[in-house]
Amino acid sequence: MTQPSEKPFLGFGLGLRAEHYQDILERRPKNIDWLEVLSENYMIDGGKPLYFLDAIRQDYPMVMHGVSMSLGTTDEIDYEYLKQLKALIERIEPRWFSDHLCWTGVDHKNMHDLLPLPYTEEAINHVAERISRVQDFLGQQMLIENLSSYITYCEDAMPEWEFLAAIADKADCYLLLDVNNIYVSSYNHHYDPVEYLAGVPVDRVWQHHLAGHTNDGNLIIDTHDQDIIDPVWALYEETAKRFGPVSTMIERDGNIPGLDQVLAELDQARRIAEPYYQA
Amino acid sequence: MSHLRDLQLRFQDYLIEGTEDIEQDIISTENAIAEHRLGTYYNAYRIRLIDCLAVDYSALEKYLQREAFENMALDYLKHFPSSHPSVRWFGENLPTYLRDIYRGKEAEFLEELARYEWAQTTVFDAADSAQLLQLEDMAAVPADAWPGLSFKFKPALLWLDLFWNVPLIEDALDSGSGVPQKQRDDFPRRWMLWRRELKIQWRSLEVHEAWAIEQAASGANFATICEGLLEWIDEQQVAMVAAGFVKQWVTDQLVLNLDND
Repeated sequence: MTQPSEKPFLGFGLGLRAEHYQDILERRPKNIDWLEVLSENYMIDGGKPLYFLDAIRQDYPMVMHGVSMSLGTTDEIDYEYLKQLKALIERIEPRWFSDHLCWTGVDHKNMHDLLPLPYTEEAINHVAERISRVQDFLGQQMLIENLSSYITYCEDAMPEWEFLAAIADKADCYLLLDVNNIYVSSYNHHYDPVEYLAGVPVDRVWQHHLAGHTNDGNLIIDTHDQDIIDPVWALYEETAKRFGPVSTMIERDGNIPGLDQVLAELDQARRIAEPYYQA
Repeated sequence: MSHLRDLQLRFQDYLIEGTEDIEQDIISTENAIAEHRLGTYYNAYRIRLIDCLAVDYSALEKYLQREAFENMALDYLKHFPSSHPSVRWFGENLPTYLRDIYRGKEAEFLEELARYEWAQTTVFDAADSAQLLQLEDMAAVPADAWPGLSFKFKPALLWLDLFWNVPLIEDALDSGSGVPQKQRDDFPRRWMLWRRELKIQWRSLEVHEAWAIEQAASGANFATICEGLLEWIDEQQVAMVAAGFVKQWVTDQLVLNLDND
């Protein structure tokens, strides 16, 4: 299995979206250091998405991010999916790939949502064992991402950060720490997001996500369709203080603005984090 | 059954059927009780998949209008919950649903419109073809080799037989131009869709070209195609007409290469 000796730092990137294909290809913006692509969007035979992906990846390092591995499901591992993922990895040659610490369905159904797991020893053992099998099959370590969640289970035996850290340790995988998701879940479940950061092992964190969300009055929903709000920027600053240089990117999936507006947010991430990297 | 699996099945039953057993597993807080928290997932499941169908079937959504489309999509979701890792495939069974299960008006027309839109999706991301046959390649074929020629077509090509003029209606709905009157023929018409570079092309085929391309795609050689075309074309004209079809297929960038038996 591939095991890099030290944490790679790609800089500041974006989630590649179809709305920006043409713009990125024509302008090749220098202030995008790297791009994250949604794996499932390119697990197809051909056509426009793969055309743009192949063209754009000539100029930007890429990482792959999936939504359907369903690491937490109690169904058997879907090796057909993993074979397709492997083929895409061989085509794109990403710096790494990631998916979520969640389940997406059971009994061979797919809810196409990132459903939370109970924070129990049973779930730790179950998920860690599956991550190990995925890593063995794909021949490299992966990153797992913390969720935004709207529920917690009565049977939870530990806080989320302990659950996340325990799985990363047991499976020997890395973490994609989504700063917005920490903020959303801390709001929804009433805990201190900085305490969350303190519970996550520094060496395991290879990537951050930043995004906007929607507050419905009682809960915050992780919609990725708004600009990033100030409290999330503040939490990102705390993140930079604790974790140092970590590849950071912005996700925007709805109400997608022009490229320049997203790049302005990316510059804000740079301004916030870079002073702590130099220190 | 493991405890975790049992919990996941309860949660999923709630998402699909609305059964409330899972509520006992969820913590309520002052700002949001378990029912409200779970409802976020229940609603998101429906909204996400309805929106996915509305992307794949945008003309159908415009034709039915949003409320009727949502009702139809919710019923489809009950009958055909997604089982594929990629949401790209969720809408695959909508034509089947409209044909076999849907109880609303105009089911035959709606099924054809859905089948046509799914065909567009299929062509959109079908495999690419690096090398395509060019007219110059055809010109280099000696005359005495033509009878034995057979044709290999690109993957990003398909056709479907439709009673209704749905391609014209879909095109108008998609572009926002005036939607033509719905018309049903007594016999189905064959419509061909293909991807040329990155754009989807379409046209209707006359019955003899429809027959010819089907034969060609199944491996028939030029002589066999000419023989079959005699049902519609005079013997003196048939080779010229068949060659005209081939030239058009090459011009449309449908043919990968030739074989000679």
